[in-house]
Amino acid sequence: MTGSHLFSLSKHLILICILSVATGCATTQTPDSTAGNSDDIESANRVFFNVNETLDKHLMKPIAETYVDMTPKVVRTSVTNFFDNLKYLNVIFNDFLQGKFTQGVNDSLRFLFNSTLGIGGIFDVASNDMNLAKNEEDFGQTLATWGFDEGSYLYIPLMGPNTVRDVTDQVPSTFLNPFFYVTSTVLFPISALDVINKRANLLEASNLRDEAAIDPYAFTREAFLQQRDYLIYDGNPPVAGYDDIFTEAEEESGGVLVIE
Amino acid sequence: MTTKINSLQSALKFLFGIYLIFSVNLLYAESDQETAMQVPVNQLHDALINIMKTADSSSFEERYALMENIITKTFNTALISRVVLSRYWKSLDEKTKNDFIALFDRLTISTYVNRFDSYDDESFKFLSVEPMKKERFLVKTELTQKNDDPVSFNYIVQNNNGEWKIISVIANGINDLSLKRAEYSSVIKDQGFSALIENMKQKISDLQPK
Repeated sequence: MTGSHLFSLSKHLILICILSVATGCATTQTPDSTAGNSDDIESANRVFFNVNETLDKHLMKPIAETYVDMTPKVVRTSVTNFFDNLKYLNVIFNDFLQGKFTQGVNDSLRFLFNSTLGIGGIFDVASNDMNLAKNEEDFGQTLATWGFDEGSYLYIPLMGPNTVRDVTDQVPSTFLNPFFYVTSTVLFPISALDVINKRANLLEASNLRDEAAIDPYAFTREAFLQQRDYLIYDGNPPVAGYDDIFTEAEEESGGVLVIE
Repeated sequence: MTTKINSLQSALKFLFGIYLIFSVNLLYAESDQETAMQVPVNQLHDALINIMKTADSSSFEERYALMENIITKTFNTALISRVVLSRYWKSLDEKTKNDFIALFDRLTISTYVNRFDSYDDESFKFLSVEPMKKERFLVKTELTQKNDDPVSFNYIVQNNNGEWKIISVIANGINDLSLKRAEYSSVIKDQGFSALIENMKQKISDLQPK
């Protein structure tokens, strides 16, 4: 392991420690009075959100839009496939940690076929020809299935929305990415392409948010946390969770919630 | 002894017959209810496919009128508004409540007309129904697309005076009702209720064709 790797790892660990301490202190504060998911460090999160939004508006979004204009969709799909494949060892690792053995075997085959027949992951032959669908698993989801609560909501500069539980994924996802073990200057433009391509894939969602959101910060937080639940339950969250907002309203109106 | 066995058999047959009649009736009642609660969802889906198909051949106003007719019929916007405004609802007078309901309807209709603006062989497929608390049900459907993954569209429906109405839409796990509830309460807390109304009016205006 090189010095730069150690630095990268320690950077992640320090980040997690700082966040844990910060949110640990923050949880003793009185929760705010807004409806929706709790947000213990909302004022700090909002500051980071605004910084990111400014950076995104003036730098990342225009670059991503230019990238979309200049590259055909088929190329962008291949770029996405390539980076998704590199990150897939983390998916397999978490399949097994969650006890999803059949999915783990299928995902291992998927990684094997896409890395070889799919020429280093550029072509998603596993989805297209072998019926081995792509899965989304990470260490945050694994901790959730083991019973860990999400902890405080975090908005991290440059990274975006996260939670104390989910940010721990930085450790396995860094270690299990083959690029972590390569030291070369060529990694800088490749990593930049990954970031730009990722932002380009989010253009539709971010445009939709800008079109619909009245409070983009609250919108992003709620959408992110709900999307996480959806992933944790593999697209089938328990219906009881949807009752909560009605139950609250029913309690406020004396147990009846019927409006003619 | 044989007579006793025969009478026991007859009694059992009779009871089994009664059980069958009851269970078949119950099944019918259950499936009738399931069909009834899908009515608003199907009406909404038909209207959405309709405005998607006619996006190029009709005006925004025509599609708005069609969706207005469907949304006011299939959504219980009064109840949605009550939930969305959480504790602030109680502090409003009747006129403000009614104005908010009308504004919320306009925002919902404008959003649907704006977003479902092209057709590429999409179709909605019914999946299942799951019971929730207090006579609420979750109707699960998905939008299948030709060149993309299906999108899950789930609807919370509730019976109101004998009519089933939609009270929430959940697209790929994102519940529009709780999203708006969080957003609106945040705006009211930081900027006040009138700022929320102004923001909603601005959104409606942004969604109109340029």
